[in-house]
Amino acid sequence: MDGLFPQLSMLGSSLVLIASFLLLWRRGIPAYVDAFTLQSLALGATTALVGYFTGNRELYLVAALLIGIKGVGIPVLLRRMANRFGSGREVPPYVNIATSLLVGGLLVLLAYIVMRPVVQLSQLPTRAGMPLAMGVVFVSLFVIISRKHALTQVIGFLMLENGIALLAVLGTYGIPLIVEIGVFLDVMMGFLVMQIFVYQIHETFQSLDVEQLNRLRR
Amino acid sequence: MSEPALFLILLGAPLVVALLAAAGPAAPRPVAVLTGLLALGSLGVALRLAARVVAGSVPTWGPGELFRVDALSAVLVVCVAFVSALALGLGPGGGHESPREVRRFRIFASLFAFTMLVAVTTNNVAVMWVAIEATTITSALLVPLHVSRASVEASWKYILIGSVGIALAFVGTVLAYFDFVTVAGPQESALHWTILMAAAPALHPPAMQLAFVFLLVGYGTKAGLAPMHTWLPDAHAEAPAALSAMMSGVLLAVALYAIVRWKAVVNLAVDGPLPDGLLTGLGLLSVAIAALSLLGQRHYKRLLAYSSIEHTGLMCVGLALGPLGVFAAMLHLINHTAAKSMMFLLSGRIRERYGTADIRHVSGLLRTMPVTGGLFAAGTLALVGLPPFGIFLSKLAMLRAGFATGHAWLMAAVLGLLAVAFVAFVGHLNRMLYGAPPDGVATGETGRWALVPLAACALALVWLGLVLPAPVETLLDRIVEITTR
Repeated sequence: MDGLFPQLSMLGSSLVLIASFLLLWRRGIPAYVDAFTLQSLALGATTALVGYFTGNRELYLVAALLIGIKGVGIPVLLRRMANRFGSGREVPPYVNIATSLLVGGLLVLLAYIVMRPVVQLSQLPTRAGMPLAMGVVFVSLFVIISRKHALTQVIGFLMLENGIALLAVLGTYGIPLIVEIGVFLDVMMGFLVMQIFVYQIHETFQSLDVEQLNRLRR
Repeated sequence: MSEPALFLILLGAPLVVALLAAAGPAAPRPVAVLTGLLALGSLGVALRLAARVVAGSVPTWGPGELFRVDALSAVLVVCVAFVSALALGLGPGGGHESPREVRRFRIFASLFAFTMLVAVTTNNVAVMWVAIEATTITSALLVPLHVSRASVEASWKYILIGSVGIALAFVGTVLAYFDFVTVAGPQESALHWTILMAAAPALHPPAMQLAFVFLLVGYGTKAGLAPMHTWLPDAHAEAPAALSAMMSGVLLAVALYAIVRWKAVVNLAVDGPLPDGLLTGLGLLSVAIAALSLLGQRHYKRLLAYSSIEHTGLMCVGLALGPLGVFAAMLHLINHTAAKSMMFLLSGRIRERYGTADIRHVSGLLRTMPVTGGLFAAGTLALVGLPPFGIFLSKLAMLRAGFATGHAWLMAAVLGLLAVAFVAFVGHLNRMLYGAPPDGVATGETGRWALVPLAACALALVWLGLVLPAPVETLLDRIVEITTR
């Protein structure tokens, strides 16, 4: 962990992970949107940083897309939905704050355990952040599973995607550009379709509490 | 016809159908005819591509051979084009949809077909991922064709669980690419399957094992493997019949295709028992959960959906049983595609007539709709694996593969579960076929022409149960060759 590049990339990855912990710690959709915005900006900055130190110009484009779409565009849409659907207060989740944070910590530990043999294979100066990226993936999965609000689940999904993007940029200095663009298209389309469904759920159930979505058991 | 032309027609026809449907609500008749012709054209081209592969060539297209059709792709291309033509021709449901619904169905069903065709023809595993993710988006929009509480709920579960699953498959793809980069350095074409296969023996087992876990869980979610299957019965039951046919008949097969592609790479890199063990475990769990869920089922579309989970599980078990197992699993895939797409389309006709999907309210099917009922009975018997239908042969081959590779206990468990599924399925079928029809249900078939292609499916199943056609055998042999090197 000597040198500026490893330290800065570790700092960026830590910020991305901390942002997903904000989702466990705070309550209310506006707070979650803030956390997601912070995470996307940290991810964009980390991507640009890797681009700067490795001289890979394509990564600047990816960073710009990340900041533009996930740091600005999607948060605007999320806020608009949060305003439209009332106070932004959330039904109590299945797991309380203290337990959530504890589970989050254990998940990061798990991420270190599963990634240890993989990280050892790499010589890249950015490799130390890879377990943190996997931690973001695990924590986001936990958020999706343990929350009852449709919008919170969407934000959890978006954070999961951020975790994968971080893993790709730290482990491989970015996947080929054509793939990256395809992934961006999918994320945007997927988000827009989820948005349509959120509106539909609200219209049919007068609520975004997915607990009510249990008509189809068996 | 030249190869670029074949690819262009194959992939372009569904896009033209989508554009036509979007642009041409003013002239419903010509649009319907053109839609049918284009879907058939796509199928014809798919068959020609498959014929070239049988003859020994491997058609490629695009910059850096982005598209490539080997034997494995060829089988899937024909399956996807066939079911898409069937669904676009007969869809969306029983025939009483509003023109707006028909238009929406044509737009998204053809885009759905396009994304599946890209997924199975591209040589690049990341582009394959992008295409499979896009299948979720295009098909989820069609699940609530009629907006109701149930269909909105089903579509939310589908898009959320499907997207999360597919995201996990991307984690696996990134991990595999990471390992490739540590071995060979960054390359634009590194995610080409052919290049991955060439580099596979040098890849590191720890990274590839972890990658495979993510890939199997991710694509397994789309394929309906337990315990990630919870979205499937809801989505398949609530979707319009023709979409269910596409989702169950080929979308599951496309997800399984992704697993087969990756397993071939992982097999070369990893020597241990983990990949096969995982496949067997999840496969067996799926068969078990499906068989038990079939028993108390009251909804015939959910019955078919659980049967899809059962068959996917069975194919996964087969994939772990060596070359003969792979052969049997792929043969099973072809049979299942024909059987399940026919059954879902028939279920649309039944629902249209009886106005319910509840088995308890459907009786006397053979009296009200003799041909539909007869085909439904044939399809059920095919699905539970009775001769003379193709699934009997593929199940038999799978059992032989299991015993030959020393998995006697596993096969005994599978056989036991299949017996449970058999009893459950045939019991439900009896209740639907016989007895007095409920009051107010009309007698006699309507829309007879639609029965012709469905009967052709049943005939194809019988044909595949009596002989193994030489071209099919060639394709399957070649799949075994390229995936179990």
